[in-house]
Amino acid sequence: MVIPTALYYMFSPIIMGIVGMLADKMKTPKLRDGVAILVSLWGVLSMWMLYNMGVSAGDILVFNIGGNPPLGACLEIDMMSLYFASSAVILSLLITIYSYSYMSHDTRLTEYYALLCAITVGMVGVAFAGDMYSMFIFWEMMGIASYCLVSFRKDSPGPIEAGFKYMIMGSVGSVILFFGMAFIYGMTGTLNFAQLAMTLRGGAITPWMVIVFATLIVGFGVKAAIVPMHTWLPDAHPEAPSPISALLSGIVIETGLYAMIRVLYILYEPAVFKLPMAILAVVTMTLGNLMALRQDDLKRMLAYSSVAQIGYMLIGVSTGLAYGLLGTFLHVFNHAFMKGAAFLAVGSIDHETGTRDINKLKGVGRKMPYTTLVIIIAFLGLAGFPGTSGFISKFILFSSTIGAGLAIVAVIGVLNSTLSVAYYARVIMALLGDEPADAVDAKEAPFLMVGVTLVMALVILVFGIFPDSMTTIAAEASNALIEGLGNYIGAILK
Amino acid sequence: MEATIWLGTAFALLSIGLYCISRPSMIRILLGIEMILNAGNFTFIYFAAQRVAAGYVDPLGQSIVFMSIVTGGCVVAIGLALIVNAYKQFNTTDARELRRLKW
Repeated sequence: MVIPTALYYMFSPIIMGIVGMLADKMKTPKLRDGVAILVSLWGVLSMWMLYNMGVSAGDILVFNIGGNPPLGACLEIDMMSLYFASSAVILSLLITIYSYSYMSHDTRLTEYYALLCAITVGMVGVAFAGDMYSMFIFWEMMGIASYCLVSFRKDSPGPIEAGFKYMIMGSVGSVILFFGMAFIYGMTGTLNFAQLAMTLRGGAITPWMVIVFATLIVGFGVKAAIVPMHTWLPDAHPEAPSPISALLSGIVIETGLYAMIRVLYILYEPAVFKLPMAILAVVTMTLGNLMALRQDDLKRMLAYSSVAQIGYMLIGVSTGLAYGLLGTFLHVFNHAFMKGAAFLAVGSIDHETGTRDINKLKGVGRKMPYTTLVIIIAFLGLAGFPGTSGFISKFILFSSTIGAGLAIVAVIGVLNSTLSVAYYARVIMALLGDEPADAVDAKEAPFLMVGVTLVMALVILVFGIFPDSMTTIAAEASNALIEGLGNYIGAILK
Repeated sequence: MEATIWLGTAFALLSIGLYCISRPSMIRILLGIEMILNAGNFTFIYFAAQRVAAGYVDPLGQSIVFMSIVTGGCVVAIGLALIVNAYKQFNTTDARELRRLKW
């Protein structure tokens, strides 16, 4: 099977590492930073090439590597995979540009950029995988790179502690997932998605299927930060460097959600996991919002807010309808931009003032007007104010529950949204408030950092006021999962 | 009977691994993770041995075990590096001492 040129992007971490080492030897650090931006641009172009290879017309691209299924590895690209992969590479591009300025005083940047590349390629691989085993390999690639990046600043105790916690919880999740995979293999003799769906989907729910369901929820749920497996997140995300926090919160935890949706829809009918998902959604968003209320650290507050947003996304999964999943997918894209912008803007404040404590940041808005503008837009989006893209996706999510007969979940969701305004408004009021006598010294962040965050804020507003184009693409992605499942299975088996 | 012995061993490895994870020593936690991974490997090998075609066991299960040993090695490498750094920062390998981040 010929591998298309677009998929050579998968080798980019190796290239990034080699170029970085050579740039270190030649003492030209700017070359390495420039190549890092070019490599992430390469990712965006690759996704565009794949989109034009027939995915836009509803075709499904299948690449078998090393033999036909079940033996060979398999990459299968449909609209849903491409939607997630594109969100990942676009956010990764913006973050690489931001890192050029933010990380310029750090050392060991070769490792930083190579690992950033590895996370992105891992996420693209999880999205493209056509069998559970390829998915597991890319899953571990994404996980191992993110453990390293969380503890990147290894000279202080915080990142080491957070990284260790993340490493332990993440790998326990992965090995339990692997154990579950062993039982799936034992039942069917294959790990290919299409053959699994032919064998297991719609069958009787035996005790083995219940055990597999539990291992899947634990395995994917740890990375997706579903309560009660979320405890690593509020430590790991604040202690990572800010661009990495933006990537982790923006898209890495959603990749866990993607993998869970994909595998659950392959193995089970939606009716089986409707109720567990609804309960997890309610618990996750309530606990995330309640815990965020009592944080003084800005990044920690945003980390708990990510837990709450995962809860909103689970609402769409629990409906089992194409309309609900449209809301989930739209919220993944919008959340990537909103949480990305929020974390990057908070990173700018941290970079300039050296503190993230809300009580010490009173009046900073007068000194850093553009960054504060971005924070206000991003926070209003996260709270779901009309005019921002967060409103559109939350509206679709909550209204989809009516069709699924879970209206009570929507009621709790709306109450949670109201609750979340309390902590977002507190930050905005602190930033815009009067300047106390002992205010911290600050000036506006460098041009590149402000530029990236302003572009992201603009995207939030544009897709909030003109949501049609994005909604159409997300609808194609959710249809590819619900109505196109037969095509997805048929594409491998033919 | 054979299935009971093999799967029972896998479940025993799983339980020992989960017990090790609940212990305070960081090295022991890492060994616990490896044990659960090996419980998975063990199960894969057993199920592969059940599927004999043309005199050979199913190559899929065997190849998966090889690759999972590689990823397990990567995880252990990262974990040991983190433990070394934690020892430098906290001067102990007791996981209970790592409690600076709360709430």
